[in-house]
Amino acid sequence: MKTLEKFPTGIAGLDEVLIGGIPKGRSVLVTGETGTGKTVLLNEFIYRGITLFNQNAVFVTFEEKPQDINLNVAIFGWNFATLIKSHKLAFVDVTASKEMLTEIGSEFDVSPLVERIRYAVKKVKAQRVAIDNINALFARFANKDSVRRVLYLIEEALKEMDVTSMISMEVRRDKSNESFYGIEEFVMDGVIELELRQGQQQLIRNLFVRKLRGTSFRSGYVEFEIADHGFIVYPKIPAHLISKKTSFKIRKSTGIRKLDEITGGGVPQGHNILISGNTGTGKTTLGMQFIREGIERGESGIYVCLEEPVLQVEKTAMGHGWDFGKYEKEGKLKFITTSLIDVSNDKLLYQIVNAVNAIGAKRLVFDSISSLMSGTMNEEQVRQFLLQMTAFLKSRGITSYFNYLSAGNFGAAKGQLLGAFETSAMRLSSVTDGIILLLYVERGQKIKKMLTVLKLRGSVHDKDIYQYEICKGGINLGEKFED
Amino acid sequence: MYVMGQSSYTQVLIKELKNIFPPDFTDYEIKIIDVLKNPDLAEEDRILATPTVIKEYPLPVRKVMGDLSDKEKVLVGLGLFFDGPEGGQEAR
Repeated sequence: MKTLEKFPTGIAGLDEVLIGGIPKGRSVLVTGETGTGKTVLLNEFIYRGITLFNQNAVFVTFEEKPQDINLNVAIFGWNFATLIKSHKLAFVDVTASKEMLTEIGSEFDVSPLVERIRYAVKKVKAQRVAIDNINALFARFANKDSVRRVLYLIEEALKEMDVTSMISMEVRRDKSNESFYGIEEFVMDGVIELELRQGQQQLIRNLFVRKLRGTSFRSGYVEFEIADHGFIVYPKIPAHLISKKTSFKIRKSTGIRKLDEITGGGVPQGHNILISGNTGTGKTTLGMQFIREGIERGESGIYVCLEEPVLQVEKTAMGHGWDFGKYEKEGKLKFITTSLIDVSNDKLLYQIVNAVNAIGAKRLVFDSISSLMSGTMNEEQVRQFLLQMTAFLKSRGITSYFNYLSAGNFGAAKGQLLGAFETSAMRLSSVTDGIILLLYVERGQKIKKMLTVLKLRGSVHDKDIYQYEICKGGINLGEKFED
Repeated sequence: MYVMGQSSYTQVLIKELKNIFPPDFTDYEIKIIDVLKNPDLAEEDRILATPTVIKEYPLPVRKVMGDLSDKEKVLVGLGLFFDGPEGGQEAR
């Protein structure tokens, strides 16, 4: 298959999904129900082209008047009026005229519209064209053949002038009008579908590339947001494309000398460890120590903070004498937070990728996986999220801890220590390179804390159980636990 | 009247347009605009298809698009009325 030259849209995240952009000099149809964001996408396609790539543009509008569009896009901070004044943007206004228009018969020559587009493209030397939306064209002409003809002519003209275009089409919920129009089948070089569905507390937007002629793209639904400054598409990371940068030889210190000893020198670079334990066993402390140790050794860290507010984490860290706020200011540490209702795994992943890129992080603590499970994600979604995240982290050689709240780890009697290791945690075990268990053990009249390294891929590690205490300055790993 | 190019079809359209007026009525002026030569004017007048006839005077402005051979429909569309069976003067 011949690969067409790609044309970046400049829209955040979308070019990753399109693996570089849309085919240059071709047309992509953007479909969706009303309110899915088609017009915003088209407007942004135009705006990013002009402002990022110095590619002038023509906007062909059938429904909204140019002055209304100018007002609408102003909320994203896009000033179309200025772009028009500086001859970077031109409108072709095909909205209903205020004068009364009488149509007689159904025999029209529709090429004037094509000529107007051609004229506008030449006038501003446009490289991008947006047409919003072609349904209005169907409403305007009773004769479907003249619509198909005009679309065909527009397409031919756009191709001839080598402009890249996005054309929107509204579809009904039942998609009944899609096959009726039968447009994309013969005219368009690609189809992007936008969808909207109801989450628990907010609307969840999905984008899906259905077709992209002659080039590759990532299949499957991806989430997107219409944020303050326009579209943010959260592309999935193709796990199979990623090469690993892991090493058994290079060990990352946990910040606890004794733990380094029993793990055979620390955590292998690029590996991830599941830290499983009941509430209060010190998962967060263990994670903070790991991050701090990294930063002190010149390795930036990411702290995904879903369990408690960042301020609380900072306060706890300060209690141990670790100034996380300072690290953050120095750009050595980045916190990631998200609302736990309607968690978007695509978005969270995107945040992590961005944070990693921003500070060149080498360590990451995810606190916690279980909070994702109690959020909107089901077990399978969590597993998939972890697969993607770990693949990404390995590709960057980032060593990580995933905290997991395991309510059952309350081993009392001998032999019960592992008995309660939850099945869901077991399932996650296939995704992780190592497991450290933190346990409460009841002995005499006391509850003691125990730590054991349950699994550590590719390492000869100590399989004993150790007592520990959480003191000021972190976890104090003590003697082997003898029953 | 907006037309596409200078073809024999354009000549037919001009003839049809002139034909909507009563034979003895000459108090009109027709301007033919070729979209290919004046796309800027076509943009200004938002021309979607040809032929499109725009009646500028007398006000209000009216537009007719399509088949000009149907004299009656064209006149109604443009809001032009002529009195009498054989061409009196315009009513409004």
